[in-house]
Amino acid sequence: MVDQKKLRDEAKKIITREDVKYLVGWEKGTYGFQMTPLFVTSSDDVERLVFNPLCIHNLAVFPMLEEKLPLRKGAHEDTRKIGVVVKGCDSRAIVQIIQEKGLEKENLILIGVPCNGVIDPKKINKRFFHQTKTDDIEEDDKNFIIKTDGKTHKIPKDELIMDKCKTCEFPNPVIYDIFVGEKIKTSSKPDYKEINSFEKKKLDEKWSYWESQFEKCIRCYACRDVCPLCYCKECMVDQLNPQWVRRSVNVSENAAWNIMRAFHLAGRCIGCGECERVCPAGIPLTKLNKKLEKDVLELFEYKPGIKAEDKPLLSIFKPDDPEEFIL
Amino acid sequence: MLKNDFEPNIVAFLCNWCSYAGADLAGTSRIEYPPNVKIIRVMCSGRVNPMFVVNALQQGADGVLIGGCHPGDCHYVQGNYFARRRIAVLKKLLEYLGIDERRVRMTWVSAAEGKKFADVIKEVTEDVRKLGPMQQIRRTNTW
Amino acid sequence: MDELIITKNKLKDVINKIKLDYTIFAPTNVDNIILYRQINDFSEISLDFCNSKVPPKSILFKQTETMFKFKPGVKAKIESIDIPNSKNVIFGIRPCDAKSLSILDNVFKDDYIDPYFVTKRENTVLIGLSCTQPDVNCFCTSLDGNPAGADDVDVLLTDIGDKYFIEINSKKGSELVKTMKDIFSNATTDDKKKKQEVEKKSKDNITRNMKTENIASKLDKIFEHDFWKNISLKCLGCGICTFQCPTCHCFDMQDETTLKDGARVRVWDTCMNPEYTIHASGHNPRPARMNRTRNRVYHKFNYYPKNYNVIACVGCGRCVNDCPVNIDIIDVINQAREVKT
Repeated sequence: MVDQKKLRDEAKKIITREDVKYLVGWEKGTYGFQMTPLFVTSSDDVERLVFNPLCIHNLAVFPMLEEKLPLRKGAHEDTRKIGVVVKGCDSRAIVQIIQEKGLEKENLILIGVPCNGVIDPKKINKRFFHQTKTDDIEEDDKNFIIKTDGKTHKIPKDELIMDKCKTCEFPNPVIYDIFVGEKIKTSSKPDYKEINSFEKKKLDEKWSYWESQFEKCIRCYACRDVCPLCYCKECMVDQLNPQWVRRSVNVSENAAWNIMRAFHLAGRCIGCGECERVCPAGIPLTKLNKKLEKDVLELFEYKPGIKAEDKPLLSIFKPDDPEEFIL
Repeated sequence: MLKNDFEPNIVAFLCNWCSYAGADLAGTSRIEYPPNVKIIRVMCSGRVNPMFVVNALQQGADGVLIGGCHPGDCHYVQGNYFARRRIAVLKKLLEYLGIDERRVRMTWVSAAEGKKFADVIKEVTEDVRKLGPMQQIRRTNTW
Repeated sequence: MDELIITKNKLKDVINKIKLDYTIFAPTNVDNIILYRQINDFSEISLDFCNSKVPPKSILFKQTETMFKFKPGVKAKIESIDIPNSKNVIFGIRPCDAKSLSILDNVFKDDYIDPYFVTKRENTVLIGLSCTQPDVNCFCTSLDGNPAGADDVDVLLTDIGDKYFIEINSKKGSELVKTMKDIFSNATTDDKKKKQEVEKKSKDNITRNMKTENIASKLDKIFEHDFWKNISLKCLGCGICTFQCPTCHCFDMQDETTLKDGARVRVWDTCMNPEYTIHASGHNPRPARMNRTRNRVYHKFNYYPKNYNVIACVGCGRCVNDCPVNIDIIDVINQAREVKT
């Protein structure tokens, strides 16, 4: 567990600096087990900052949402730094964006926190129906200890944790300026069992599975907007000249959208699972993105978001890249 | 055995300097190849965005071919290497979704290989003919 | 208002009878998500739910609607399409969603009658289902709503144990029920009392409250306040709130063509998208996320009430449940009231 007081002290030190615009962390949400991103702009806000296993959001999306608006005459751009509290997966997103030159490390101040796994909101909401507010949440080695309505519930981690966390290889952030907490020792290896077993299915079975998933898609683009790595100024689906993907909602266009988004994330997706969490239609997007993560590892021995000095996957090549499919 | 009279639509993205010139040579040498292929000339195979491939399959192509220069011979030095990486990833993705990856092919054809170009087109046309019409992500246009 | 009852085991017969003359849309369980879909058999209906993921407005105001077809060319030919006018029944619609359809009526039946929506609306009978277990974020009572209210439906079913209490609220409803007179029986005063108890219990179970008196005039005073900047810092601009909202009705028109033919299609759009207000010149009057988030709140709670005398929110809570960053409209409005002017 992370010492909340130490986290707040570090945050206070950062926000009182003159060259910092704001710090993004988490605070308690408005109902149930919700947590919500908190923008700390002064030391008064620091008291609301928390970190616990309910903090599922990937805050790396916020530095990319900074807008460059037209300025009044004589006004100057605000180029102060942004602070972000990052877990392991979030920090990989930051590293990947730095690799692609979307952000510069000098403009960020990162508070790293260790993470043993976050709670799946779908699983916990199913367990505690109509939960208006919660009092506290803690964890020990194997359980989550949840206090609500005067009662204490001890629930095994396996039952509530996000599936992506069960095979996490990076519980400690890979990049940070300040680290709050104790490093977690891990020896997890990447796990592609589910992908492998899906690959063995017949072609028809695979398509009918994905067709039923793409039929549900309502093209809200929440997956794109919550993803820290989807930061194109003009997304391919919004382009009208030429128009690649039509705006009507049917299997053909939905499939084109999902295929192309998955492809654009090849070698860039760091598996934070936010896309699947926010999808209102419940499409298993991590199943799609993880497949590309596996392929990129097998074909090119490449893992995204590890070192900021690495080069992005599709901007480099090896002379002996696999080409047995080429006539 | 019934003759398969399905005529596949193949869209070929050919790079200007090598594979397009190779296709041109096949023509001037009067080498016959199936007329199913519709050629789109791009300056380099590295120009081919996987979005083109998906869009072609949506609009009625049954197969897509990308033709580039041999590794080391790209007019723009590296374009074909990038294209090779992209198409490798794209094929695996399509296969995972249930779209036969043999519909998307890639070939290295140089400006002097007119005969090879014709052979490639024959092979790709026959392979795609056996796979049948592309139905999965095809636009139905039934408003 | 006519009041009847029906035992639960007879519901299947009702559906089978309705099926003969109407197309039925009912809540179905699709991969653990409740969606309103066309059903062919009673067994497909899932009544164990709070509310559907996508609101039933999608049946009358389709996400993709063809407006007309054409053949492009120097002498382009336009063919108008036949707007489907089959008789429909939406079975199991919640009172909040039914109210949203009345709110949408204001938009589609204003100075221009939208044939695509209105034809379907007039040919659709709404069979409502009262809420017995409101979810944590339901707040219809803050907006003059009633979890067991029959105001906006043609027929309302309320679960009172082993029976459903039925209220018939309109001519459409009584015409539908007339064909099945023998399956229903008259309600007793005891049944009615049970229904009132269920109604009270539901209302009591709604724990969240949005203070909405005079909200439009309060919002008038705080348009330029920094409050909106703080609220919108978290907003990702994803648009989930607009897709899930039963009263949102923004749309886009697209021409889809092949070389030989084409059609003009109306599709849902979202004001949270930066491209929503971009002009042909490239100027965007709502360039920042703050402008767009603020606009959404104002549209629902200020502009719409000024035009049509009703707040364009029914308190279904879908936006609160699904917002990825927990931007809570109940909280936003309650905080907006407290902003010092």
